[in-house]
Amino acid sequence: MPGARLARWAAAVPMAGLALATIYPLVFTANVAMKTRRDYILDRFSPAGSLRWDNLAEAWTGAGMARYFVNSLVVVTCAVALLLLLGSMAGFALAQLRFRGSSVIFLGCLAGLFIPFQVIMVPLTRVMADSGLIDTYPGLILAYVAQYLPFTVFLMTSHYRTIPAEIVDAARIDGNTVYGVYRRIMLPLGVPALLSVGILDALFCWNDVLIALLMMPSPEHRTLMIGVNALRGQYSDDIPTFASGVLIAAVPVLMIYLFLQRQIADGVTAGSTKG
Amino acid sequence: MRIAGPSSSARPADPGRAGEAGVKRRDVRAATRPFTRKARRFPRQARAERLAPYVLVAPAVLIIAALRLWPLALGVNFSFTGDGELNGTPVGPANYLELAGDPLFHISLRNVGLLVLLLPLAVAIPGLLATFIYLRVPGHRVYRSVYFFPAVLSPVIVGAIFNLMLGYDGPLNSLLGAIGAGPVDWLGDPGIAMFTVVGVHVWATFGMALVVFLAGFSTLDSSLLDAARVDGASLRQTIWHVIIPSLTRTIQFVFVTTMIGMLTSMFGLLFVMTSGGPEGATYLPEYYIWHQQGQMNRPALASAASTVLFVVMLVVGLLQITLLRRAGRQD
Repeated sequence: MPGARLARWAAAVPMAGLALATIYPLVFTANVAMKTRRDYILDRFSPAGSLRWDNLAEAWTGAGMARYFVNSLVVVTCAVALLLLLGSMAGFALAQLRFRGSSVIFLGCLAGLFIPFQVIMVPLTRVMADSGLIDTYPGLILAYVAQYLPFTVFLMTSHYRTIPAEIVDAARIDGNTVYGVYRRIMLPLGVPALLSVGILDALFCWNDVLIALLMMPSPEHRTLMIGVNALRGQYSDDIPTFASGVLIAAVPVLMIYLFLQRQIADGVTAGSTKG
Repeated sequence: MRIAGPSSSARPADPGRAGEAGVKRRDVRAATRPFTRKARRFPRQARAERLAPYVLVAPAVLIIAALRLWPLALGVNFSFTGDGELNGTPVGPANYLELAGDPLFHISLRNVGLLVLLLPLAVAIPGLLATFIYLRVPGHRVYRSVYFFPAVLSPVIVGAIFNLMLGYDGPLNSLLGAIGAGPVDWLGDPGIAMFTVVGVHVWATFGMALVVFLAGFSTLDSSLLDAARVDGASLRQTIWHVIIPSLTRTIQFVFVTTMIGMLTSMFGLLFVMTSGGPEGATYLPEYYIWHQQGQMNRPALASAASTVLFVVMLVVGLLQITLLRRAGRQD
């Protein structure tokens, strides 16, 4: 490929431009969050001279982001813990144990994967309301578990299929019950998959808008993302504080991304290579 | 709940090694049917053991059946009943007829058509970028992480950031002003707003598709590329005759997931950026459903729209798979 080297350099320029366009919006927002209202109105582009935490403090306490943050944290933690527990149990059984109906059950889970939330949101809201779970933490947690369980079961099943059946057989000969095999062997062996599925589930739940909007109508039950949107109306004339709220909601995700990027990418691509 | 004990470090142990540790010291006898052998010796325990798989899958199955599959049936059924005073009474296809006459729903469907038309672009951009990263463009390692990062941000955050970026006196219009182009009312002009939202969605999600493409590239047989190089193939020829035919499965997967993403994960952006406006120009079925259910108190009508959305997605998905499979066979 004689032109390849030239083409590679020619491609590098727009690619660098695109990288800049990917980063800049967040940098701009972070910069605005550090400005005073007056500075923002006078010149929104100049770098904020120093790090100012006033706006962040105002968004955190004054606008109630602290409350929303805790709500999100509690709900996401419980949902992900449940998802991983139920997903690994089902994944182990579907991948390693032979039992009547297993393929039907696997297909049922797969079908759940292809039902978008939008399609079932009206009846689901009604089911939740009828069972008194609307506007409660367990209700939202359950809604998240239901939403991401098919995905979790699917990925855990395909992970456990890569583990040789001899391991299970050997452990059973040693006198382990099926539950013992799950607890002592399958959970530890599942850690890499549990980690990447868990991170993805956590991101999905943390970032969700629609489910939280439907399941948690009252203001004190808002999750962080709904809170950010509420902030928009509340601080429409105080953009720096609004930008601070956006930053507070984005930072945990950015941290996870910086440290666990590989696991996130593994989870995203697992469906394409194994499916 | 022991999901990942404190002892498990950030870098998970290699499954192969952990497996050895788990069964080391243990005598692996060749026993093809440990289950039945055990069954004969301890009848009562055997029954518990036989039920064990069902106990393990039961919670997941119950939740998926009750909160995913059952609502789907419930919703279809629901779409043939009335709203308000007619709540619960069968009204036949009245909701579907009302949808057929609702200009807002027409816009939603037209916008779905627009998304389908823009889909090849939304797949080609990450595909091309992945190709260059695979061919080791200078700085390729950095690009991968940078491009992927907006994909982890919530649509609410992306929408909020772009509300600032796209304001009438925001950074983008300032940039345009600097090169002499007039300010554009990105979110206020009915002819432009939908393109703006789709553009932001692509900005936020192309990293997903990029990573999937790169995973596909890693399965690519590098000897084919070497052969192309030896034969003096140009870059375009290499992409067209070597890379695309070898990645048919990946391309199929990206097409389908990108389409599903466009149809089901733009709610957050619409909710934050446009609320369906201006003049309803940015309505999509998912926003229509939410609006009818939550704001207009028309759940049965919303269910009908849900059913239409589901059918649209099935048709589009199957059509894509058929078309792509046919295209793949011709090569």
